[in-house]
Amino acid sequence: MTAEVISTAQGAQSERRPGPQRSGRRSALKKISRFVRMIPLVPAIIIMVVFLAGPIIWSFYGSLTNAALSGANAANSSFIGFDNYVKLFNDPVFPQSLWITIVFTLASAVISQNVLGLGIALVVTRANKKLATIVSSTVVGAWILPEIVAAFVCYAYFSQDGTLNQILALVGLTGPNWLYTFPLLAVILANLWRGTAFSLLVYQAALNDVPPEISEAAMIDGAGGAKRLFFVTVPMIKNTITTNLMLITLQTLSVFTLIYVMTSGGPGNDSTTLPILAYKEAFRFGNIGYGTAIATILLVIGAIFSIIYIRAARPSKD
Amino acid sequence: MTTTTGPRPAKRKPRALSLASPQRRMSAILANSALVVVGVSFLLPLVWLVLAAFDPNATYQTQIPQTVTLDNFAAVLTPELTFIPMLNSLIISVGTATVTIVAALLAAYPLSRYQSRFNKPFMYTVLFGTSLPITAIMVPVYLLFVQMNLLDSVPGTILFMAASALPIAIFMTKNFMDSVPISLEEAAWMDGASAMRALGSIVVPLMRPGIAVVAIFVFFQAWGNFFVPFILLLSPSKQPAAISIYTFFGQYGSIAYGELAAFSLIYAVPVMVLYVVVSRGIGGSFALAGAVKG
Amino acid sequence: MKKRAAVAISVIAVGSLLGIAGCTSTPSDSSEKTIKVSYIKTDAFTALDDLFTKVKPEFEAANPGVTVELDPIAATDDDYKTKLALSHRSAETAPDVFYEDQGNVRSDAEAGYLLALDDYVAEWEDWSEFTDAAKQAGAGDDGKIYSVSLGTDTRAIWYNKTVMTNAGIDVPWEPQSWDDILVAARKIKASDPSVVPFNLYAGTGTGEGSNMQGFYELLYGTDLGGDALYDSESNKWVVGSDGFTESLEFLKTIYDEGLALTPAQALDPNIWKSVFGEMFPDAKLGGTVEGSYTPSFWVEGGSFEWPEYATEMGATAFPTKDGQAPGGVSMSGGWTLAVGSKSENPQLAFDFMAQALSFENALEYDNVNAQIAVRKDVAADDSYLGANPFVGAVTDLVEVTHFRPSTSIYNQISVEVQKASEAVITGKMSPAEAAASYDAAVTSIAGDDMVIEK
Repeated sequence: MTAEVISTAQGAQSERRPGPQRSGRRSALKKISRFVRMIPLVPAIIIMVVFLAGPIIWSFYGSLTNAALSGANAANSSFIGFDNYVKLFNDPVFPQSLWITIVFTLASAVISQNVLGLGIALVVTRANKKLATIVSSTVVGAWILPEIVAAFVCYAYFSQDGTLNQILALVGLTGPNWLYTFPLLAVILANLWRGTAFSLLVYQAALNDVPPEISEAAMIDGAGGAKRLFFVTVPMIKNTITTNLMLITLQTLSVFTLIYVMTSGGPGNDSTTLPILAYKEAFRFGNIGYGTAIATILLVIGAIFSIIYIRAARPSKD
Repeated sequence: MTTTTGPRPAKRKPRALSLASPQRRMSAILANSALVVVGVSFLLPLVWLVLAAFDPNATYQTQIPQTVTLDNFAAVLTPELTFIPMLNSLIISVGTATVTIVAALLAAYPLSRYQSRFNKPFMYTVLFGTSLPITAIMVPVYLLFVQMNLLDSVPGTILFMAASALPIAIFMTKNFMDSVPISLEEAAWMDGASAMRALGSIVVPLMRPGIAVVAIFVFFQAWGNFFVPFILLLSPSKQPAAISIYTFFGQYGSIAYGELAAFSLIYAVPVMVLYVVVSRGIGGSFALAGAVKG
Repeated sequence: MKKRAAVAISVIAVGSLLGIAGCTSTPSDSSEKTIKVSYIKTDAFTALDDLFTKVKPEFEAANPGVTVELDPIAATDDDYKTKLALSHRSAETAPDVFYEDQGNVRSDAEAGYLLALDDYVAEWEDWSEFTDAAKQAGAGDDGKIYSVSLGTDTRAIWYNKTVMTNAGIDVPWEPQSWDDILVAARKIKASDPSVVPFNLYAGTGTGEGSNMQGFYELLYGTDLGGDALYDSESNKWVVGSDGFTESLEFLKTIYDEGLALTPAQALDPNIWKSVFGEMFPDAKLGGTVEGSYTPSFWVEGGSFEWPEYATEMGATAFPTKDGQAPGGVSMSGGWTLAVGSKSENPQLAFDFMAQALSFENALEYDNVNAQIAVRKDVAADDSYLGANPFVGAVTDLVEVTHFRPSTSIYNQISVEVQKASEAVITGKMSPAEAAASYDAAVTSIAGDDMVIEK
């Protein structure tokens, strides 16, 4: 259902609503009423300013201090300029974690969820209707589960004596402890399992708007399945693909619970994405300032994607 | 669970049948087999959850229980483990959804009904807010809560969750509101009704399905949220089920697989049921109200 | 005009922000006093909960109008410490009395979380019963007393006699060097590959425990002995020592040869439950380094009842590397009780704590939880000496035991040690690389002038 986000986002820029002022009611109180009628915005603004904008500004400031959970710096933290960032870029764990975050995001969201979601959405239009309903229900089911339950399920599935190795045993293979030997792969697959439904729902909606006549006309012209897909269908839903990619990228960037429960970022730092690293540094090791610097970098990455997304979500005419 | 699979099939079916060439049949077979593979892959992890919950000797293996038991459920259905945390989850989720909906409705009204130079930058800012990684601001949020004496406060946690849901909620609500014709309100204005009364008596009733979508969306996010209460709520008596299940797992998870599975099911079923009921009830509009423009 | 509206709105918004911030702290009702007590309670550790549950009604009866609010936290040691640190930041959530790892006392005292207790203990008649070492364990960097010890511990090798005998090793087994351990472990592996020969914890999974029951037994048994981690003469952290690399090499040997648990198991925070609950009782583990409190898990009423432990298990000192003097290594830690600096009723909080630490209560707690007594009167009591068959053996280890460096940055150093051992057992780094990376991290934490090359 998050798909509305896309539609609403795209509708956001079009201020097509005729305001009541157009109905010709212009009074002397116009100026006051202009102010008064904006008052309903106030509660939302207050909540967002205090609880979103506040922490974001604080995040930038906090990353310039040596605040800590324990020790002398907990009592009196001081401003240390960009020391945390200097330390961060000299810490071998940071580039590793950044790389893991990129791999995790690209592999599980941009490639897997996106392609699989589109694939299923395309295939269900040709398949048996009952089967299609059952399969998409299953895919959506994994997505409806609370994240922590999904994480336990995946933990069980990938553990040494879990279901995946049971299946491998059926064909005579002895599987490793996936969570230990291939932790990044395990969390990527887990996120694929959990998140594909989002792309599926988005693409199903988008494909519904593609007039069937078009692709069938192409088929009559002799275009093969792959050709039709790449030259007819994909261009028609191009903007949906862009917005979907942005949304799942941002969702995946901030995945915490799934990884925290499955591997805690380990072994070593092999599945430590930036959110996990920020949590560990700030709360587990008590280096609040340093953890905040990591979080700030994550915020900046998110902001860059947000801006790209906003541009991409503009009405197609410009 | 009903999903949005194959909506509007009527449009397509006659053509599809008329084109039932051998090539078409081949592609249907391929499509069906591909779907079976995908379906089974997605189903397998869930099967473990259900089977283990009823298995007195559950392990991480997927196995048919030799005897079916409800003992796992009985063991976790205690006030400490389940009832209080589930009640807390309910309070937090309903509270978050309520605050969010009220604030979003109020905010959406002027945005949808009046033109102002303020609208555009506001919507851009909010749009920017929809895509912020909330995980990244938990450290400063914790510090803010300390400063404001809101740590371990349920209302504080609700307000933060509402804040993180508001950008998306405002968008969705404004979009739904845009599709309610303004002519009805104009009649009310003529009669002297205030904007707020028009909102309450005309707009809100007309966009009830839309409000339900937003409310459910926010409710789901709050219900499944682990990280926010994990940092902001410290007393066990205030913590939601997501935390109690994590604590349980940390303590017994490596031994009590069956109970963990049973606990997970109890926690997941309410949202599952809600999803089915609401998607049935509101149908297409719930799933993908307002066409996804391309 | 529209601009002015926007300005007005933001003024309102900011005003309300301040309003919210200003009016949230509500003064508590003074006629009813509440003492909040935070501590760990898990399925495997209920001794403290039992103690507080017993003291609570007694204390409330003696102090009318006072309510003791018990706040047991179900968590691993690491999660508990994080939770506790988070709650200390705010007066609303900070507990009055809490369970505090002795290793965190200095750091938390410096952070201003702990109340200095000097004035309170001065008027407490029981204070003279505490040993000097115990008093010192609760001191801060400034020399003031910040917490009172509940009990201490030592660490020994606990081994399964059946496994040893089956592998042809004579019991009582008394390894004199690291090589003796390797020889025995290899024998066990050869005689029964399904048995884990010898476990030494490592990595970040078990947190501080992996150092206390693993790496430090190795490190403190190398040539620098008690000064291997922190040089007591110069008060600087040791970097570049052979002992550090040798200790990592030993870990690498036992993990690479499959003599220890698998690295995946070692990183599981709950693995110790399998060690106590399954592996030793099932004779699937040869030996492990564990605390003197080990019998508390197996006694009647313990978490993993196994009465046969008294005859099945043996305890012996962990050897120094080549058997150099003093011939054995042990580590001591322990937990304390402390009073929060933000407590509104510090005297009541201290009184509650003092009552929990009385002779009868300390005796009961030390016996049930197999702690080494820190009160002289408890240590001399017959029931303490006879609490389990190993009391004598583990108490003797006090002579060769070491304490962790008493500095406020110790906890950060500890994390670096855990990271180094994890990197080695998982094969990410060679012992030399891990030691170099540890040196760099320690230098960055402590500062260039606070490390010493050895």
